[in-house]
Order: sequence, then structure tokens, then C-alpha cells
Amino acid sequence: MTVIDAATSTPPHAPSASSRRAARGLAAVMPAFALVSVVFVLPVLALLLRSVLEPQPGLQNYEAFFASTTYLKVLANTFLVAGTVTVVTVLLGFPVAWFLAIAPAFWSRLLFAIVILSMWTNLLARTYAWMVLLQRTGVVNRTLMGLGLISEPLPLINNLVGVTIGMTYIMLPFMILPLHATIRAIDPSVFQAAALCGASRWHALTRVFLPLTASGIAAGALMVFVMSLGYFITPALLGGTSNMMLAELIAQLVQSLLDWGLAGAAAVVLLTVTLAIYAVQLRFFGFGRAAG
Amino acid sequence: MTFLDIRNVSKHFGSVAAVSNVSLEIARGEFVTFLGPSGSGKSTTLYMIAGFFEPSAGDIRIDGAGILGLPSNKRNIGMVFQRYTLFPHLTVAENVAFPLRVRRRPQAEVARKVEEMLALVRLDRFADRMPAQLSGGQQQRVALARALAYDPPLLLMDEPLSALDKKLREEIQAEIRRIHRETGVTILYVTHDQEEALSLSDRVALFNHGRIEQVGKGRELYEQPSTRFVAGFVGHSNFLDCTVAARNDHRADVVFPDGSRLPGTPVHRGAHAGAAAGLMIRPDRVRIGARGAAATSAGVDAVLSDATFIGDTFHFVATTAWGAPVSIRVPASAPMPHQHAVGDRVRLSWDPGQARLFDN
Ligand SMILES: Nc1ncnc2c1ncn2[C@@H]1O[C@H](COP(=O)(O)OP(=O)(O)OP(=O)(O)O)[C@@H](O)[C@H]1O
Ligand SMILES: [Mg+2]
Repeated sequence: MTVIDAATSTPPHAPSASSRRAARGLAAVMPAFALVSVVFVLPVLALLLRSVLEPQPGLQNYEAFFASTTYLKVLANTFLVAGTVTVVTVLLGFPVAWFLAIAPAFWSRLLFAIVILSMWTNLLARTYAWMVLLQRTGVVNRTLMGLGLISEPLPLINNLVGVTIGMTYIMLPFMILPLHATIRAIDPSVFQAAALCGASRWHALTRVFLPLTASGIAAGALMVFVMSLGYFITPALLGGTSNMMLAELIAQLVQSLLDWGLAGAAAVVLLTVTLAIYAVQLRFFGFGRAAG
Repeated sequence: MTFLDIRNVSKHFGSVAAVSNVSLEIARGEFVTFLGPSGSGKSTTLYMIAGFFEPSAGDIRIDGAGILGLPSNKRNIGMVFQRYTLFPHLTVAENVAFPLRVRRRPQAEVARKVEEMLALVRLDRFADRMPAQLSGGQQQRVALARALAYDPPLLLMDEPLSALDKKLREEIQAEIRRIHRETGVTILYVTHDQEEALSLSDRVALFNHGRIEQVGKGRELYEQPSTRFVAGFVGHSNFLDCTVAARNDHRADVVFPDGSRLPGTPVHRGAHAGAAAGLMIRPDRVRIGARGAAATSAGVDAVLSDATFIGDTFHFVATTAWGAPVSIRVPASAPMPHQHAVGDRVRLSWDPGQARLFDN
């Protein structure tokens, strides 16, 4: 964050001073850079290499991955779940972030505490809690049946529905927090200005508020979508064996089949997609605009 | 005749009376400023006209029709705020076009009007900039163009220049005066800078503690202040403590603490016989003369205690026999009967009609 801010606030008419500062900055981040290369880039490189070297050099792992309808279905599942989770977190997170920004201090602090505490609670515990809630005889099914809305328990677990519900819950804070920051940064007097300009509430919402929050929505959506693409625990616990997601597949390829080459190919596919999405985000929202 | 009619308007925030019983009639095309110290209720009054606050009591009418039932977006009022309120995601041209677009005006009209408005505020070349790429002064000029784009009959401005430096402020003040002349829009302008108020407006309403103390042309406020607060707030003034000895309809005789008596000082209200009062005299209306000269005018004896030359004026401080300081300003070009020096025993005099008496 600080690095980004420093980069964008550098005055364009002072190239020599800024490049000197950049050089000094580079020297300062070298150790961190080296550390990141070792612990992050090297394993990724190793994976990449294994995907094209094992069992023999070539692209056969990628061919196998894209030729198999099973694997493609896993890829489709992954995108479907990540996409649904992203859309639902936007729809649920937006009003919550808005409420956090405008509610009286007591309520916004309370809600904020709930959001943060849920984030800090152990992931496994939260996922198991959803298993309890969503199972055939769980609270959700019993309530719905008690209300007479359904006669048979709904299959809410061991399928993509369960995965989507559980992941939406886990991802929600990653949408709410950046969105909340964006909304908080908007000067409320622009809405007074909009009103005097003749804008109805609807116009103020669609022509001022939503465009001003777009960068926050994009930042939150990117975060949620990318995290969802590679998520493991929740799909593994709430999903069924017939509807796997990519991370589960990779784990299975490595642990059960010891097929490092194919696992590497699947991981590289995931990484490529993630980087592509990030590039699109940068293209449309840029560093500066995403930050401010 | 009356265009904007503010009638007995009050606004309470809990137990705080931000505005108390303010009434003001403004003619079409007039330029009126609200002047007053911080927290005196200027913005609150403006915001009630804009529709951001609902008055606790009273009525506001435009052209005879009550506007209090209308939401802000239906009032057709323009406003420029103290803070920069351009829409940060829209270009300069799109900001100015915004009020026209929400009114669904045809595209050709929008384009023509945007061009006209940007020319009016002399920012034609900046149409495609984003607000963040403009200086504060330029942003406020765009805000002015946006506020005028839909030809509102009334323009509200809440300290629009307070964040700018003095030179830029004066430059934009001149622009605002020109735009007022060219468009004929009625302007209500809030400021706590009296120079700004006096130089811009036809009339000044001086606020204090949520009330209007006096309304009038700047010169009236300066020369015929109706309260001690007005006398103290507008321009520089000396207040000399005294006691009212006798009082007729409009004038009073006073006695100073050293026993000297001064007849015929004008009184606006109050200052009954026997009351403690303050005699107000402007520093530029006090003359310095030699002691013992024929006392044709009102005055007191004093000793010069300080003399400074500030550019085009001499600034003296004299101390009366009872120790009260009196500040005096003399234009450097004025003919001086003799040179004054610190320590001189002098007679300070003034036309009785130039002083005023207020209750203490
Ligand atoms: N929303 C509010 N809630 C409570 N009190 C308020 C509110 N707005 C204004 N006040 C109070 O009302 C009084 C008048 O405020 P106002 O903003 O009208 O003053 P002002 O004359 O515009 O001052 P300034 O020159 O500082 O802008 C102040 O005492 C202020 O604290
Ligand atoms: Mg104010």
C-alpha cells in the first residue's frame, strides 16, 4: 500500500529526484524481495517445471488436463462456485459495508466486531459449524420444514450449494472491508451537491454512489474471486466427491495419485487465470484508482 | 417584489438554537452576504434554504411560493460549497453536464450549455480534465459552472473561497462579481471575511448567535451600526467607557471616568440616563490636535503612546487621562498641523455625529 502511494504521488516533473528515491527504495526492499523469491517464486517455478518435465519433457500434462471432461468439469465447477460466491458477496456485502459507513457509531462498531471476529475464528470451526447447520437434520432444514415451506430436507451439503454457502460466509469480510474503506472515503457533501443539482435518490445512487464505489467493488470482487478459485478446506468439507473444485483435485493428484506433473499443470492453469484476472483489473482500475 | 422571503425562521439542534427567528427579504438579482463569526448560524440558514435542514419554525418562500415542502432536488437552487464537491469520477465537462443530464435535456443543449458555462468561468480548455487534476480555485470555478448550468434563479455559496490563498480569492471574487452582473442571478453568499462581504455584495446581513444583528449596505453597517456587536465586527473601532448623564431623543451627553463631559453623541437605542455605556469612534475619524486649541468639536485629552507607519497610513495609539487606549489612523497624505511624537500631550477630537453610544 505505502509503496503504491509513494509511486503515484511522485511528482512527474522531478525525474532525477524520483529515480534516485526509487533506487534508494529498491535497495531498501531488496531483502524482502529476496525472501519472497525464495519462499514464493521458487516453489511456483518448481511446480511449473514439474508440469512440463514429468513424467517426460513436453506439454502432455496440459493436453491430458484439457482433454479430460472430468478435469474440465472440475474447472467449470471452480469457476461456477467462485463466480457465484463473488456475485453473492457483492450483493450481501454492499449493503453491509454501506450500513457500516453510515450507521450510528454503536451499531457500526458492533457489526464491525462481528465481521472481524468471524474472520478471526478458526476456519475449520466455522466450516464444521456450517456442516452442522446445513446437514439433513440441521437447523436450516428443520426450520424450513417446521415452517411448512418444504416437506423433504433439502440437500444442502456434500454438493456445490453447500460449498457456495460456506464460502460466501467465509469470503464476505474480504468484500466488506475494502468496500467499507471505499465508501468511508467518499465525502458525503457530494450527495448534497448532487441533490441540489436536481438528482433524485435514484440518480444519486446510480450516477454518483455506485460509480464512486466501483473501485472498492472491483477490489473486493477480485480478492474474493481469486481466493475462491484456489480454496481448499471449505470445498473439501462441504462439497461432495462428485463435484470437486480445482484445489481438491490438485490435492488428490498429489496425495493419492502422486501425479506431480498433472497436479503442476492444474496449478499453473489456476495461476494463469488468476494473473489474467489481475491484469484485467489493473487495466481498468489501475493502481492509483484502485487505491484511491 | 420580494424574491426570496425568509420569515421568522428558527433551527434548533436539541437544546442548541443554531438560528433564532431570522427574517430577511431579498429582491431578485440582489447579492446578499451572510457575515458573522464562526457558529453564528450562517451555514445553517443557507442549508435550510437548500433543503438539507428542516427549519424548527418559520417559512421560506421563493416568488411567493413556499419551498419547505420540496426536497432539495426539486428546489432548482444552485449551490457552491466550502469543500470541493465535484464528482471525482466525472470530467469537468461531465460535472457541468450532470444537472442537465438528470433533467434529461437534449444532448445538443447539454453540449452547448456546458461550453457556455465553461467559457463563463474561463475554463474552456479544461473540459476533459478530471477534478483531481485541477487546483482548488479551478475546482471551485467548475463548481460554480455546475451550479449555474441549469439557470437556477438563486445561487447559494457557503464560504466557497475560504480554502484559497488571498490573491486567488480576490481574483475569483472579481469573477463572481462579473458573473453576477452577466447572469443577473440572485446570490446568497456566506463568509466570515468582512472585506469579502463588503467588496462583493449589495447588502450584508450580519449574524451573531443565530440572529441577524443588522442588514444593510456595507457602508451603512460601518457608519450606522445599530448594535455594539456590529460596530465592533465591521471595521475597526474604539470603545470608550462612560456614563450617560442626560439623554434626549437621539442624542446623549456622557461623562468620562475623569469627569470630562461630552455632549451630543448619537444613540440608536438604549443608553438611558445614568447607564454605563461605550462611546464608539472609528480610528479614522479621530483627529489629533494640540492641547488648548479652541474646542469646536467633541474630544478628550490624551498622551500619544505609540506611533507606527504602515504603508499608506500612520497608526497612533493615545492613552486618555483614565488610561484607556484610543487607536487613530491618519492617511499618510493628510496635511499634518504639526509632527506628532510619542509622549506628546494632545487633544483627540471628532465630529459629535461620527461617534455613537451603545449600552455596555
Ligand atoms: N448538524 C448539527 N447538529 C448540531 N449542531 C449543529 C449542526 N449544525 C450546526 N450546528 C450548530 O449550530 C450553530 C451554527 O452553526 P453554523 O454551521 O450555521 O455556523 P456558521 O455561522 O456557518 O459558522 P462557520 O463560519 O464556522 O461556518 C453552531 O453552534 C453549530 O455547532
Ligand atoms: Mg458555515
